[in-house]
Amino acid sequence: MTHILVPVKLVPDLVEELQIAGSGNALDMTWLRLIISEFDDHAIEQAIILKERSGGEVTVIAPDQEGMDDVLFTAAAKGADRITKLSGDFGEGFNNHALARAFASAVEGLAPDLILTGVQGNNDLDGSVGPCLAEYLGMAYVGYVAGVSLEGGKAVIKKEYPGGLIAEMEVALPAVLGIQAAEQPPRYVAVSKVRQMMKETSIVEIDAGDLDPSGGLDVSRMYLPEAAERAEMLQGNEKEVAARLVEIFKEIGVI
Amino acid sequence: MPERVNYWGIPHEWGPPEYYVYTIMFLAALIMLFRFYQRARIWWKVGRPEPRWDKLHIRLWKLIQYGIVQIKVLNERYPGIMHVAIAWSYFVFFLGTALATIHDHFFEFLYGNVLLAYKFVLDLFTIVFFVGAIMALIRRYLQKPKRLTLNADFTFSLVMIIMIVLGGLVTESLRLAFDQPEWAWASPAGWAVAQLWIVAGASDAALINWHLGVWTFHLLSVAITIITLPVGTLLHSLTGPLNCFFSELDKPTGKLSPIALDAKGNLVYVNKLSDLTWKQLLDGDACTECGRCQDACPAYAAGTPLNPKELILNIREALRSDAAPAMAGNAPLLVGEKIQADMLWACTTCGACVNVCPVMIEHVGAIVDMRRYLVIEGAVDAELQTALSNLSRYGNSFGKSDRMRARWSQEIQPAIKDAGREEVEYLWFVGDYASYSPTLTEITQKTARVFQQAGLDFGILYKGESHSGNDVRRAGEEGLFEMLVENNIKSFSGSKFKSIVTTDPHSYNTLKNEYPAFGDGDGEWNVMHYSELLDQLISTGKLQFNKKLGYKVTYHDPCYLGRYNGIFDAPRRVIEATGCEIVEMPRNRERGFCCGAGGGRIWMEEGKVTERPSESRIREAVGLDGVTQFVVACPKDVTMYSDAVKTTGQEANIVVKDLIELVYEAM
Repeated sequence: MTHILVPVKLVPDLVEELQIAGSGNALDMTWLRLIISEFDDHAIEQAIILKERSGGEVTVIAPDQEGMDDVLFTAAAKGADRITKLSGDFGEGFNNHALARAFASAVEGLAPDLILTGVQGNNDLDGSVGPCLAEYLGMAYVGYVAGVSLEGGKAVIKKEYPGGLIAEMEVALPAVLGIQAAEQPPRYVAVSKVRQMMKETSIVEIDAGDLDPSGGLDVSRMYLPEAAERAEMLQGNEKEVAARLVEIFKEIGVI
Repeated sequence: MPERVNYWGIPHEWGPPEYYVYTIMFLAALIMLFRFYQRARIWWKVGRPEPRWDKLHIRLWKLIQYGIVQIKVLNERYPGIMHVAIAWSYFVFFLGTALATIHDHFFEFLYGNVLLAYKFVLDLFTIVFFVGAIMALIRRYLQKPKRLTLNADFTFSLVMIIMIVLGGLVTESLRLAFDQPEWAWASPAGWAVAQLWIVAGASDAALINWHLGVWTFHLLSVAITIITLPVGTLLHSLTGPLNCFFSELDKPTGKLSPIALDAKGNLVYVNKLSDLTWKQLLDGDACTECGRCQDACPAYAAGTPLNPKELILNIREALRSDAAPAMAGNAPLLVGEKIQADMLWACTTCGACVNVCPVMIEHVGAIVDMRRYLVIEGAVDAELQTALSNLSRYGNSFGKSDRMRARWSQEIQPAIKDAGREEVEYLWFVGDYASYSPTLTEITQKTARVFQQAGLDFGILYKGESHSGNDVRRAGEEGLFEMLVENNIKSFSGSKFKSIVTTDPHSYNTLKNEYPAFGDGDGEWNVMHYSELLDQLISTGKLQFNKKLGYKVTYHDPCYLGRYNGIFDAPRRVIEATGCEIVEMPRNRERGFCCGAGGGRIWMEEGKVTERPSESRIREAVGLDGVTQFVVACPKDVTMYSDAVKTTGQEANIVVKDLIELVYEAM
């Protein structure tokens, strides 16, 4: 039976105004509200779709962040068979390298055939969890995936390219896929179903040990976009505008 | 002296006529009862149990009011008079026949003046009957209103009931033509018809023979009608009154039942016949197909897939086709088969159908029950999904931070009290739209200023308030509704106040009618709509006006304020106090026409509509002579109707005003 693992994480909810912390190089976590990364939500949906279509088992695994329990129970209500939480020092923020290492160490015991995770998250674009995880596990990685089906020991995937092109490709399992979008938008799951899951299911905890963030970037300064000079609107008819454009190009030395 | 002659002119050669008359009638009644039993047992065998057997005396009174006197039937003039003319006549004929039987076998009293009065009343109702029958013929074959079911079953019933009365009348007239008694005037209809035979010079033998023939025809037509009653359209004469008898008694219409539990304690999500209660199945069989609900329904008028009449008849159809498998324990799916999801989603839960139904069918409860199934299956459209997700995450449908809920209040000086911290007399439950909708900010601020001006001791919950859940529940998301109620009750419990006031009729409805079932008992809050509070402040002199506005306005009754909670006069009194003249729209008070936003519709994809309910309403208002303002008492109405004024291009003719704007202006 195919075992699909879905590592997910929470990211800042952009509904709240973001504040820079006193250190000046990170977000202020006090007022931050966390929400499941949209792409991870799609990864869960894609895993459930695969399970419904071809059978198998789905495990959702996530770091122990505030509010994660709700996300995991929601995943269970959607159809995940197991929900697992990595306990560790995730409260103060962590980078994707640390998270991917933590996932990788947990994955060894879980022996998945396929790992689906969000292709990116809004809080960390430098090294996504998927590629790092694939590297640590020695598996193949394909990102920007928008459709998966399972055939024998292979996954047939649809990968989106800019310009509306879609490529279909095969990858031997086990593999890690970075999900851009599930085949269908994430489904609605009624609150009562989630609440029922809270009673019926329990979250398995795995100790993540010490986090190792090495390989990540050091942020020197984080700030809101600073107002630049306003654009100059060229007035007049076509000829006048064209003449003025030529003047400007000459002034700045491009022609 | 006038005397009743039993079986006048009926030969006794085959034995006493009452023997075979009673035999035929007894058999007919037996067949009728058996057929009715076959029909009725389905309700209880297939439907889920539901207690509707309490307070039998009140139920009996309802049966008399609605089933016999038919006061709701009479709400519409032409069809009302038409129907009671026929129905009351038949009640009188039935009573007359019963009295004759008593006279014949138990207690003789029909002689002399009593007999003349008896004959006169019966004859009078014969005339009344024909008035009704002719009206029915005109309605069915000339007027042909769209809402009627024009099929052969109804023609058969109408023909049969006319034949019965005609047979009786002709029988009587032949007897009168033969006897020509001096008290013939006591039977004016019969005597008038008798003139035909007298003028035609019919012989005694001809009269006697024709009398026997027509009498036999009369007897058989009665028997056939009785036998076919439970399988034809006349079934409603039994199920209609029965449905009134079993109708909802104490529960306010604004209070929905929670999801039911089955015998094993599992929640019942209604998707097949056997998930509906026996009363909901009876609703299907009680429908008279009069189409009043269809006429009243905003979703139908807008051209959506919902027709409340069709919905109920689909349940009836399922009763015919699915009852056998349902009794065998495998009822086929109803939702998605005979009742499509888009029909269910189109409902605004405005309650107009329930209000007009002459036999008190409860459409809305069944619709919400089936929506609950769709929600638990995750079968919701993308927009509704977004709204529900937002509500569960942020406590509002706008998907904004709960910390922004009271942002509108920043400009209000002195700052509005935080009811979560200090004691207040009135807890103002602001609601989602009034809090978050940018177009409503000014109105919400004016409300605050009016309250301050009136010296009201009030406060708000700031981020402690969540969406009230009224329409979440009606959209079928019961779990989310419970969660929102828990959040709000937690906030209420942490604050000290005497009354809750809200501008939102939807919040008002659920806070007043549904929240008490969730509280711990001591949280019995007095809930007021701002129109009630303003009315009170004006009558006690706490709120005084300096100006008489002098506008000619019309007032739109919000469904959840008017039809659901009977508050019609308070807002009208407030409008009049500001010096405005109210001109009523044709659809006012209980018949107020929904704006189309209720029951969660405001969150859903609109789908294909011909004319939005709100547009129909604005056109209705614009048609009133000299009316320049369309006054509403619901935040959602401001949004809905301001849009409709634009989409109908009526900006120059009418402007939408919240009640508070008039009050503010007049101060």
